[in-house]
Amino acid sequence: MDEPLHGSGHTRIRGPQPLAAGLGLVGLGLLGVWAGSDLPQGSMRAMGPGFLPRWLSVGITLCGLALAASGLLRDGQRLPSIALRGPAVVMLAILAFALTIRPVAVGPLTTPGLGLIVAGPLAILLAGYASPEARFRELVILALFLTAGCMLLFGDLLNLPIPIFPAFVLEALSGSVSPRLLLRAVAAGLGLTGLGLLAIGRGTRRRAVDVVPHSITT
Amino acid sequence: MSDLFANLGLGFAVALSLQNLALCFMGCLVGTLIGVLPGVGPIATIAMLLPITFGLDPVGALIMLAGIYYGAQYGGSTTAILVNIPGEATSVVTTLDGHQMARQGRAGIALGIAAIGSFFAGTVATLLIAALGAPLTRLALVFGPAEYFALMVMGLVFAVVLARGSILKAVAMILIGILLASIGTDLETGQDRMTFGFAFLTDGIDFSVLAMGLFGVAEILRNLDQSETRDVVRQRIGRLLPGLTDLRQAAGPVLRGTAIGSILGILPGNGAVLGPFAAYSVEKRLARDPRRFGQGAIEGVAGPESANNAGAQTSFIPLLTLGIPPNAVMALMVGAMTIHGIVPGPGVMTKNPNLFWGMIASMWLGNLMLLVINLPLVGIWVSLLKVPYRLMFPAILMFCAIGIYSINATPTDVMLIGAFGLCGYLLIKFGFEPAPLLLGFVLGRLMEEYLRRALTLSRGDPMVFLERPVSAVLFAVSAVLLVAALMPALRRSRDEVFTEA
Repeated sequence: MDEPLHGSGHTRIRGPQPLAAGLGLVGLGLLGVWAGSDLPQGSMRAMGPGFLPRWLSVGITLCGLALAASGLLRDGQRLPSIALRGPAVVMLAILAFALTIRPVAVGPLTTPGLGLIVAGPLAILLAGYASPEARFRELVILALFLTAGCMLLFGDLLNLPIPIFPAFVLEALSGSVSPRLLLRAVAAGLGLTGLGLLAIGRGTRRRAVDVVPHSITT
Repeated sequence: MSDLFANLGLGFAVALSLQNLALCFMGCLVGTLIGVLPGVGPIATIAMLLPITFGLDPVGALIMLAGIYYGAQYGGSTTAILVNIPGEATSVVTTLDGHQMARQGRAGIALGIAAIGSFFAGTVATLLIAALGAPLTRLALVFGPAEYFALMVMGLVFAVVLARGSILKAVAMILIGILLASIGTDLETGQDRMTFGFAFLTDGIDFSVLAMGLFGVAEILRNLDQSETRDVVRQRIGRLLPGLTDLRQAAGPVLRGTAIGSILGILPGNGAVLGPFAAYSVEKRLARDPRRFGQGAIEGVAGPESANNAGAQTSFIPLLTLGIPPNAVMALMVGAMTIHGIVPGPGVMTKNPNLFWGMIASMWLGNLMLLVINLPLVGIWVSLLKVPYRLMFPAILMFCAIGIYSINATPTDVMLIGAFGLCGYLLIKFGFEPAPLLLGFVLGRLMEEYLRRALTLSRGDPMVFLERPVSAVLFAVSAVLLVAALMPALRRSRDEVFTEA
């Protein structure tokens, strides 16, 4: 590719990627300066809380300016192509997990706390569709196994403070079944269902499941 | 010298307890298991598995985390050799000759020599840590705030010089990292800083949230973008133990790699990352026939892999003695130690000798275990490598979400890893490397504290940094490094080291 380096009059931006990156940094730096503007600067002898943030933001702005200038003056890379599907779907999955794991107040509404048993499979099924190769059956099986495994690992074995079941289920069952027993029973149920689905899949479409074990996206 | 052995004896007594032995083993196994998955490097692995160690006592937790770290590192080289995908920056070089060896049906030998070289390097590095621990800790005690500040600046300058791509971008990343660290309540005045009125920001940004977002989630997003074919070796793995000729050929590179890696690993600012590259270049220069490199030369696996492991371990030295994490993985270790109520630094050795020496002893045991686990289990790792990514990333995502939720039991943290993941993805897309940001973030608070203290002690005179000899030398080194990195000639050779090697 020959570059008309000294041609005058052309308005082509020579390094769009550094220019954009630089402008982004300038924006961030200015945001930092603004956000820290109400903090006292203090003196050299007793630095105030605003001292470091201000100078860091100024530094970031300067880096951004230099980068943007290099984008204008030197040939650089083109703007990167940014995928939409992957990030959007993954964000959706994370959001779904965060909103269902425990009651969360979103404005006037409060989401029901459904626990890992709902949040986990929901996140996996949603996240799976971030890849264009998603297959529903496969994801269901994965969700069953993973949820069972995570329940046992995090809830039972490690005893981490993570809600497993919806609060109303626990309330309804309070006294009759111990939560730990319930956890193990449900995990076993999930695992068995997963195994069942796997077995059915093997029986009907034996080869179809792993057609492309080697040409896999990474 | 007798002190050293007494201390190591204490360490082994701690590390050889049944519980710690089991934790070390578990850590190595799980670390390898996750680290072997393509696209999951040590940083993501440790961030993901951090919550598993919460319930343990501090010694056990750190032993397990260290095991996870080596495991992930080992797993990374396995992926590099068998699939041609480096798990992280330091195993990039291994792909060059390692994967070629695998294609020639010598995958087993490549894995074997990598394991043996790493074990040797690990042994030497462990001894080095034990020997240097005490003197460096003593050195740390004479360090004042000015010296600490200068040392951290030097670490960050190193990180800039060693980062790939534009130096300007690396500097910006570090500044952003420090800026992010200053969000939240100011420790000295109690004033809220840059919280924009959000309650969840008053405690500052949680380190594990940032790490998991930038390295866990962002990696997923980036991997989803690329659809390369995964080149899993189909040839037989073959014999694992190298023959006598192979060993003779590899002995020199292992020794040199260990030396290079150990020295670079101690440097603050992620010197360890340079180890494998340097070792590869050295071997290529020394070789009688450099053309063999890139065609499956065993020296090209033995040298860098030894350097890799040596550096991975000696980078514990600045953390354990001075309390300054030299790279992102060690930054995670700081996070883990803080969660368990341990302040990393010179105090660890005197206040918690059990922890300090136990951890060092467990490093050697961990390396031994890896040698034992990895070679016979290669078959399992190979089958793991065939798990398609479309099934892997939902699982990784779920682990991240559960892990981060269980730290503070706040759903906002889960949302934040999404937000940071998105930021990380954009950063990678625009050619920024997120590792310096994380380092800046971890050092940020400490730096501000030391800067303030130093200036208070000197009554506001900034010349204190140049009047105290140690800090003046450190600042001079930083300045020289930065200027050198900006010089066009050196910059070119720096780029060469990263691209050619």
